[in-house]
Amino acid sequence: MAQAAPKAQLGFLGVVNLSGTGFVGGLLVTNQLGRPLEFQCTTPVKPNRTQEILYGPTLNSFVCAELIGKTLFERLQVKPQVIVSDQPEMLALRTVVALPVCLILPKSNSVSEGMIRAGAHFLKLHSDFPDDFALVGEIAKSFPADADLIEPLERVREALQETLRAGAAA
Amino acid sequence: METSDCMSSELMNQTDTAAEIITTPAGLVLPTPGIHITGMNSALKRPPQVTAEAKALLSSTGFVPSWRPSWGKVRTFGLTFPAGIELIPVAPQTPEANEEQSAFKKVEPEKAEDETAEGVKAPAKRTKIRPPQDALSVQDRLFFLLQPPLENWLKGQELIMPFEPFQYQYEGIAWLFSQKAALLADEMGLGKTMQMITSLRLLLRAGQVRRVLLVCPKPLIPNWQREFKTWAEEIPVTTVEGDGFRRNLTWRMPGAHVLLANYEVVVRDYQTMIQEAIKNGHNLKDGLGRRTEVECQTFIDGEPASPQQGGGQAEPPCPLPRFDLVVLDEAQRTKNRDSLTAKTIRSIPRSRSVCLTGTPIENRPEEMSSLFEFMGVIPPGANPDLRQLTSLSREFILRRTKDLVMKDMPPRLDRDEIIELTSAQRIAYDNAEKDGIMRLTEMGDDVSIQNVFELVLRLKQISNYDPLTQESSKLERLHADMEEIAASGGKAILFSQWTKTIDWLEERMRPYGCLVYHGGIPQPKREPILTRFKNDPDSHIILMSYATGAVGLNLQFAGYVFLYDRWWNPAVEDQAINRAHRIGCKSQVIVSKFICKDTIEERIDRVLNEKREIFRRVLGEGDNTNASLSLNANEIFGLFNMKARSAKGTKSIRPEVPKKEAA
Repeated sequence: MAQAAPKAQLGFLGVVNLSGTGFVGGLLVTNQLGRPLEFQCTTPVKPNRTQEILYGPTLNSFVCAELIGKTLFERLQVKPQVIVSDQPEMLALRTVVALPVCLILPKSNSVSEGMIRAGAHFLKLHSDFPDDFALVGEIAKSFPADADLIEPLERVREALQETLRAGAAA
Repeated sequence: METSDCMSSELMNQTDTAAEIITTPAGLVLPTPGIHITGMNSALKRPPQVTAEAKALLSSTGFVPSWRPSWGKVRTFGLTFPAGIELIPVAPQTPEANEEQSAFKKVEPEKAEDETAEGVKAPAKRTKIRPPQDALSVQDRLFFLLQPPLENWLKGQELIMPFEPFQYQYEGIAWLFSQKAALLADEMGLGKTMQMITSLRLLLRAGQVRRVLLVCPKPLIPNWQREFKTWAEEIPVTTVEGDGFRRNLTWRMPGAHVLLANYEVVVRDYQTMIQEAIKNGHNLKDGLGRRTEVECQTFIDGEPASPQQGGGQAEPPCPLPRFDLVVLDEAQRTKNRDSLTAKTIRSIPRSRSVCLTGTPIENRPEEMSSLFEFMGVIPPGANPDLRQLTSLSREFILRRTKDLVMKDMPPRLDRDEIIELTSAQRIAYDNAEKDGIMRLTEMGDDVSIQNVFELVLRLKQISNYDPLTQESSKLERLHADMEEIAASGGKAILFSQWTKTIDWLEERMRPYGCLVYHGGIPQPKREPILTRFKNDPDSHIILMSYATGAVGLNLQFAGYVFLYDRWWNPAVEDQAINRAHRIGCKSQVIVSKFICKDTIEERIDRVLNEKREIFRRVLGEGDNTNASLSLNANEIFGLFNMKARSAKGTKSIRPEVPKKEAA
């Protein structure tokens, strides 16, 4: 008897920083085949000058991960098993949410120990959470070998552009 | 003070010259123990004693800058996608198939150390589902934008596709998925059926539709059943058939996702249901809920009642079976908006409306109005002008021609076979023509189109074969061609306007394993005939009538098409030819059009070619089938150098297709 296929739910998190508008984030939850289940996005978050000075180089990481990423995750009704992003600053989200957060490595990166192959990509996880490796590794097995994890993030960014356009028109 | 004066004088003394020193001895000696020469008190050498005591400040400390990391609340906006229908995959036959058809493929093991992500080929092209123009809310637009590209969706994980669709088909599927009103008007043979079925799969999966009605001409029911089995085996299709009781049950069956019905059944059953609904006092609106389509007035005390007065407070739900989507195949069947078929179809309660046809305009652009009304893009009864029709077409019609999208498809080679009549045929033909024209001339002003038309038919029949001597030059040519085709194992389709001609040919084509397919063949026997033609290596020719065989059939394994006699409209001829020249055909299709020299056939062909050329200039090189090419009355009279007597000189007199079939 064929074994039932595991059903993974993935969260794809993307934040864009638009000059003059601020940071806008979107989190798309899909099933393991990329079909959308839920989408949450923020209105623009614009740090003021004081915040920019005082947060300094940590501003991006704080706004993207702890402020936007955490808020979006908390709003979700369909909770993913793992959050995926292609922005390095998102790894910090792992410290404030209780699920693995993966960074999709650029294809130019050399493969090293501690990376997990998922579909057509290699993933990096937060080093402070070693248990995540086994969990993500198990989920990654259900991906087709040519699964494209970047594509859903492109959808997220396109959706963010659409919401901004709609906001501008309103 | 005294001490300091002494010190001063002493200092002065030290600095003055010796000659001028005047000393005055004095008896006064001041005791100066502990005093440094500089005069500093030695007490200063003692460590100072410091003590602290609290004292109140005299005033406030003033402004002290401070900052706390506080951020405003991040506002969010969300969208949850509807759950689609989970269709059970078809049980695989073998363990290997089971592996192949599991919900998704397993990750392939890493084969070599140097195999990195660079080695994985990115998909060549992605077809995104775009929001339709009428999707105004952000939620609606995001719903479409966040769907995965079709190539990802259809690449054999969740939805198994037997064949990889062409790029233009992906685009058609994406378009059908997003449109609530659509007319897919691809040229015949480009896969309208497949595109519709695949978009249905996606709509069902995405929870956009749950109940679909597909209406098609009766002969195409088996074709749709077969295509569903090929492209969407997991979707159960229920055909509305059988006696009235059974059909009634089928219409209201709750679990049926896709109902398949022919036009006649739909009209008959919905008319019955409409009558019942009227009898029960329902105010029926059209299928999109826009107006009262069927007159049904409630009376109170003999006077027409206002809606508030009649029949209670709340309007009861519509008693007619409702569908999320109604698809009309060969939608040109509803081009006459006042016909019972068109009216009944428009009364079907529905949310989305899709038309499929390769010939959206058969005669006049106004025919589009009926289809647009069904689609709900023009108000009931509206008559858009040509400019408005063009604008609507851009938004709601998707049409591609083979010339544009299938550049690598094997070519279709048309050849006009100009054939001399046999001597017996020539005598019979000349006599018939002479007598006919004489009779028409004698009729004077009483001559009608019908009289002329009868003569045309008579002459065309003689061109096929002489009824008296049974001679036929066309048959001789056909024999010659068929010997060659049969010897090479090829297959041919022959079309004729008359079942009588087909029956006559059947006996003479027996050596080539001849099969017959026309309106006289009972419906259950038709599908086995097509199957046999496909699979029997000894069956080299199938004889078809234009009316029955020209639409919807997939016979792309046939490399030869014979048009034994010519139809009145090249659009219908093209439909017939495209049974063979369509997607999947492996080699070129040779089309032979039989035209007898110095006969009415040659004259008709000349008129049609002239008209075709005019439309080609107007509509462009890629589109020459979408035009009014039927002969009108003036042109029919003109075949005999006569002029139409009637003022209605432009009325088309060609037979209806495919309702009637010539005997």
